Parts: sequence; C-alpha cells; structure tokens
Amino acid sequence: MSRQRKQEDNGPFKRSVDTPSSQHSKRRRLFETDENMSDNSVDPNRRPNFSNVGYVQVGNGFSRNLNTVQLKPTAAKKIVIKNLKSEPKLPEDYRYQTWEKLSSAVLAIQQSKSNQYSLEELYQAVENMCNHKMAHTLYTELYSLTETHICLNIEQFLAESMDRFLFLKKMNETWQNHCDQMIMIRSIFLYLDRTYVLQNPNISSIWDMGLELFRKYIVLNTLVQTRVVEGLLMLIEKERHGDKVDRTLLKSLLRMLTDLQIYDSAFEQKFLQSTERLYASEGQRLMQEFEVPAYLTHVYKRIQEENERVIHYLDTSTKYQLIHTVEKQLLSEHVTNILQKGLDSLLEENRIDDLTLLYQLFSRVKNGLVELCSAFNAFIKKRGRTIVIDPEKDKTMVQELLDFKDTMDNIVQTCFNRNEKFGNSLKEAFEHFINQRTNKPAELIAKFVDSKLRAGNKEATEEELERLLDKIMVLFRFIHGKDVFEAFYKKDLAKRLLVGKSASVDSEKSMLSKLKQECGGGFTSKLEGMFKDMELSKDINVAFKQHLNNAQDLIPLDMTVNILTMGYWPTYMAMDVNLPEEMVKFQDIFKEFYLSKHSGRKLQWQPTLGHCVLRAQFKAGLKELVVSLFQTLVILLFNKYDELSFDYIKAATNIEDGELRRTLQSLACGKARVLLKIPKGREVEDNDKFRFNNEFINKLYRIKINQIQMKETSEEQKATEERVFQDRQYQIDAAIVRIMKMRKTLSHNLLISELYNQLKFPVKPADLKKRIESLIDRDYMERDKDNPNQYNYVA
Amino acid sequence: MSENSRMDENDNDKKEVSQEKMFTLKKWNAVAMWSWDVECDTCAICRVQVMDACLRCQAESKKDFYGKQDCVVVWGECNHSFHYCCMSLWVKQNNRCPLCQQEWSIQRMGK
Repeated sequence: MSRQRKQEDNGPFKRSVDTPSSQHSKRRRLFETDENMSDNSVDPNRRPNFSNVGYVQVGNGFSRNLNTVQLKPTAAKKIVIKNLKSEPKLPEDYRYQTWEKLSSAVLAIQQSKSNQYSLEELYQAVENMCNHKMAHTLYTELYSLTETHICLNIEQFLAESMDRFLFLKKMNETWQNHCDQMIMIRSIFLYLDRTYVLQNPNISSIWDMGLELFRKYIVLNTLVQTRVVEGLLMLIEKERHGDKVDRTLLKSLLRMLTDLQIYDSAFEQKFLQSTERLYASEGQRLMQEFEVPAYLTHVYKRIQEENERVIHYLDTSTKYQLIHTVEKQLLSEHVTNILQKGLDSLLEENRIDDLTLLYQLFSRVKNGLVELCSAFNAFIKKRGRTIVIDPEKDKTMVQELLDFKDTMDNIVQTCFNRNEKFGNSLKEAFEHFINQRTNKPAELIAKFVDSKLRAGNKEATEEELERLLDKIMVLFRFIHGKDVFEAFYKKDLAKRLLVGKSASVDSEKSMLSKLKQECGGGFTSKLEGMFKDMELSKDINVAFKQHLNNAQDLIPLDMTVNILTMGYWPTYMAMDVNLPEEMVKFQDIFKEFYLSKHSGRKLQWQPTLGHCVLRAQFKAGLKELVVSLFQTLVILLFNKYDELSFDYIKAATNIEDGELRRTLQSLACGKARVLLKIPKGREVEDNDKFRFNNEFINKLYRIKINQIQMKETSEEQKATEERVFQDRQYQIDAAIVRIMKMRKTLSHNLLISELYNQLKFPVKPADLKKRIESLIDRDYMERDKDNPNQYNYVA
Repeated sequence: MSENSRMDENDNDKKEVSQEKMFTLKKWNAVAMWSWDVECDTCAICRVQVMDACLRCQAESKKDFYGKQDCVVVWGECNHSFHYCCMSLWVKQNNRCPLCQQEWSIQRMGK
C-alpha cells in the first residue's frame, strides 16, 4: 500500500484539525487526499468510518487532484475549506463491531473458509482501530485468538503410535498452514504491525507472535519435539544408507526449527551425535572390509554427500561441525591405519589417482599431512635400502635409483601438490638410504656416468644425455663420500681420454662444470688439468712431427705421445719393459725433444697405457691389429720366431708375470686368435708354448684385440678405494689439528662429535681413535696428565 | 709363400723368418708422465708438493689463460728446488737457501 504524505506540497488543502494530541495523531493531522474521495462520501456503507474520521485516505491519485486544482488557476470560484462545525464522533459500538468483523475473518482464515469481507475493508478496519487508540486491545485480542487456534492443533500430534513419516508430514502441513495463515493475518493487520508494534519494543510483531505461540505450544512440547527430531534423524539416516527421501520435507521442517530458533538446541547436537555414531562404526567396519583405495573413494563420496546435505536442507551453520565430524570419524581416527595398510602398495604401484585422493583427504585433517609425509619418508628409506644394499643388484642399482627418484618426484609433483615439505622429506630420505652402504653407490654412480660418456653409446642424443647427467647429479648430491666418486670418476675419465673413447667433448665438459658447480673448483681442478694435458699433448705432437721430418734413418712409424702431468692423473704402476730397438730410438728422440722445450722436467714412460696399430701379414691377407703396447711387444717377437715358450717371452719382454699371462691369453685364447697356444686351454701355464697363427681369418680388416681386464678391475678397484682411504686419513688429521688448535683442550667425546660435524665422509670411531693416537705420537697433541680422556694441543 | 714348407721342415726350431716381416709397427701411441726433476718432492717453504701449486697460489687460485695454475719450480745453484713464488718471497728477507744456507742464486727455472 503506498501512501504519500506531502506535507509541504499540499499546503492549500491543509487544515488544522484539532484532533487528539498524541504524536501519532499529530502527524496525521495533515490533510491527505485520495482519488476515491468522492467515492468515500458516496458509499458510506463500504467505509462507514470514513466520513466520520474527517480526513481522507490517501491514494496514489493525489497528484492528479492536485493538478486539477492547479490547472485551473483562472477559475472564478475559489474553493475554501472550512473547519467542521462539530467534532466527528465514533459510533458507540464501533469497536465491538469492527472486532467482530476482524475476528470472523481471522477465524475464517484459520479454518480455511471463505470470508465475507474484502481484504481491503479489513485492512481499513485495522487501520482505523489503530488510529483510535484501540491498537493495544486489538493486539491482545488477536493474540488470544491465535493462541486458541494453535492450542487446538497440538492434539493431533500427541496421539500414540503414529507412523513417524506420517507424523512428519502432518507436522510439516501444520507448519505450512500456520505460516500461510500468519502471512494472511499479518497482511490484514499490517497497520497494527507498523504502528503499534513498532512503537513498543517489548511487543513482538504479529509474525513473531505466531512463531512464539507455535513454538510454545507445539514444538516445545517434549513429546512432539522428540518425535520431530527423531523423525528427521531417521530420514537423514535413511538417506545416508542410500534410500531416496523427501528432501523438501526435510528442508521445510529444518527451516521450521531454524525459524523457531530451536535448531541448535533441539536438533543440531543430536544430529551431530548421530552422525558421529554412524561414521564411527562405519569407519571401523569399512577399514576392515575395504582395501585402502576403495575406502578412500568411499570417504570422499561421504564428504561429498554431506556437503550436498548442507546445501540441500541443513542449516549452513552446521556445515563446519558436520564435515569436521565426518572427517574425524572416517579419517583422523584411521590415519595411522590407512598409512600402514595402504600407502606402501599405492606408492609401489604408482597409483597416481589414489595417491592424489589420499593427499587431498589427508590435507583436510589435522596432522594428516605430517603423518603422510613421515610415512612417505619411511617408505622411501625402506624401498631405497633394498635397491642399495644388495650386492647382487649392483649392476642395475644406479638405473633403479634414477627410476625410483623419477617416480617419487612425479608423485610429489602430481599427487602431493608440489608440497615443499614432501620434497624436502624425499631428499632427506634419499640421502639417508643411499649412504646406508658406504662407498659402493658412489663408485657405481661414477661407473654409470662412465658408461654413458663412453663412445659407442648411441642410446641417447646429446640432449638426452645432458638430462641424464643432470639426474645423476641429483643422486650424486646425496652421497656423503664424494671423494670415492671422484677417485673412480677420475680413473674412468683417464681411460676415456687416453684411449680416445670419449663420446663427446661437450658432454665431458658439461659434466665437469656440473661437478664444479656442486663441489667447487678444488674438486675439479685436477680433472680440468687432465683435459688440459690432452690439449697440450696435441700441440706437442704436431711439433714433434715436424721435428721428425728433419731426422733420418727412421722406420716409418707414426708416433704420438700423451704427456700427462703427474698428480692430475691416477697413479699407474710403473714398470720397465724391453722395447724393440726402433721403439727405444723413437722414445729417446721424443724425450730429447720434449725436455729441450721444457727444462727442469723429467719424463716417466707409462707402458701400461700405450697402444699401437700393427700391420699383419697372414696367409689369408693383410690385416691391421689395434692392440696394447704389451700385446705389441709379444707379437713383434714372432717376427723372428714362429714358436716361443712362455719363459722366453717373459725374459724377452720383461713384462710383469700376471700382466704377461693376461696379454697372452688375449692373443691366444680370445676372440681373435693371432697366436696359438700349445697345449690348448684357457689359462696360461708356465710350460706353454705359443705359435704364430698363419691361418688367422677374420672378416674385418681392422681388428681390435681387447686386453683381458676382469681381474685387473677388482684389483684396481681395491687400489682406488685404498687411495681414497689414504686421502681421508690426511683429512682426518687436518680436522683434528684444526679443532685442537682452536680449543686447546678438549675431551675425547667432544672432539669426536666435532669431527663428525666437520668430516663429510663416513668414518668409524675406531679409525678416528687411530688418527688421534698417531697425532699424539707425532707430538701434535698430548693426553692430559690428570685426565686420560682429555687432550691438550701441543703448539 | 714358402713359409709353410719351411715350417714343415723345421717344426720345432726357432728359425728366422725371411726378410718379409709378418708384423710391422705402423702407429704408436705412447703415454708418459712428467714431473719436476727434483730431489725432494715437497717445497721446504710451503710444505706443499712441488707438483701442486704452492699454498698461496692454491688459495688465490691464480690461473693463466688455460686455467692451469702458473706456479713453476726454481732450482738454486745448490740444486735445491722450491716453488718460484715461495722462493721469491723468501729471498726478500734472506738471500740464502733455506735448506743449506748457501747464498741463493738461481740455476734454472721450470718451464
């Protein structure tokens, strides 16, 4: 209903009516006009009170009237409105009559019957009563009327043995009716609501009054309330068990509880309790029945369902607690169990989707991720240990480690949301297990790199190789004994460089720069020196060729020499062998040439590393043999004699016994048998004889005869390790002296713990003790005279 | 070739083969290590091996164009050898060989 009060504009119509002085009336004193003005006067029956009241109800046609007036300013007649002669009075029984009308209307509404009065009329009646100070009575009357009606309703809910569902339906119906009726009643009594109720803060609005009464008489009845709540819980539980239920009914009844402000007290608590009970038992049961992935999917579904429940009918304030309860009962309670039961197999089988779900679910509960992270860590340690610890699997260890790292990285990336904690835990776990076995992983990684960098390795392009090297560096980073790696890497690098077997200089250099980045220049300076030696040797050889051109009386031999700086390269066994005359001549010429260029140096020949190309004339034709220097020496003997005994060869070449046996084995028992052994057999015995094999056939022109190296490798390996341990002793000594110099006096235990902080490689306490003893012997430090567990530094 | 028949005749004899060699050396790739021709491996001044750069140079990691540390060896008339860097600092204080106290004069330099 729109009313316009234009106090200022309608000045001409203003009339001071001396109506009662209540504030409300004063405000009403202004003259209000209505398009129905004439009607009002003509049809007094319809609005019998109007003329009596003495002012006109306002409608939206006000401005039209105003215009009519203003548009005729020239009219000759002037309308003058005068005060009424006598004050208008209400009829005596006005109040009674009007209330009769209203109460009959209300009753009609409550009983859903038709009503003889128009709504407009009723509204008017209310407004008039209000304006005549009857508001209070009106309100009280209405209150008692509503109260009576609601009281009547209670009976139907108290009946014994009522079907719960029917009960809920009935309740809902009653509630809906109540709402409809109250809306209707309120519309009629709107004026009351807006004036009387507004001005009296202690009185609740008609709608609220309805709610209060409903609450008081129906829902606060213990029996009814219990029945409603139980019924609701039953429906929800039914839905949780997968049955279809009437969600609108649920929603409407829950709204009722909210509107009546007993949602929290009557429903929510019980609901949460029943939720907790249900999911506690479900969690227990399903953990037993289901595999972990199925369980997780189920939990996810449950959470989803509960969220939907909140959207569809529960009050949003319940959401947090509800979801929390579900998570707690289905997840928190079972975190350890889930991880123990299922994580390992999920990781093992690389179940990306399930792991993602696991992570998502665990991130919802407190400590879930922490637990997951530590279980993840434990898994890596356990699994990694099996890769590293078994000597039988040494051959595949590095590749397996790389694959394992890839898989775990991928899981952290895709499933664990790149969580930094998981990444760090992954690294920590790798570092832990890779050092479970001392030295071997470092050695194998070095060898793996060698196999990748060696020529003839065509399985990877440069870019792939580069990526592989990066991955290897990640493993390398985890290793504590980096000196072991360096030693083996150096030995292999030396082989690659000297035999010219390096796949690509670029890859070598890039590996070197990676190592440098990781361990600093000190670590790689010698390796770099090796590369430099190779480059310098090239220049020297060019110069040497020119130098040879001037010399005379020489056989046509293409001699190149690699000059290595002592100290950069691994140490090789020095041995003197007897070279043929021409070769000695060449050697001498080179030595003279080299020392003339570099004074103050001395040269030591390394026959173990030399290799040659021989031209060989067999019956079947000419061949070229690519052989080591030792093999060359043996073969060249057969230029003079067809058959030679082992002893003769040994004396003639002066090659070390074991080395010679292996050499002869490679020539007479290998794939390409240039010599024949008499008698036949795999091992070379003292009394064996060897013969030139003129019948030698091979489809290739150029034949490489490999040295037999099996035994040598294991010896070399030991030697390399030995050297590493030697170096470590110095490092331990240095560390002890450093610490003692700073502390002056220190107890044994403190010294040991400081040493462990400083030393980057694994050491046994017994070794440390030995070094301390040795330093005491050498007067670097001494035992305290009073306390044998205390050391003093001796300057 | 006459070899077969000849071998049949003197099977067990170590007999010289005709002037035509069965094996000829075509290419030789030799390897040698160089080190300073010194009597004592360590420099008496800095106690570091003469093959390595002296302590100062290692700390500064002074490098020439190729990246090699340019720290050569010097021999005195007394035949004692030291890092050149070490010795040139030494003679500023005391122009005698630290080992034998002879007057220091350079015999030759490493190169």
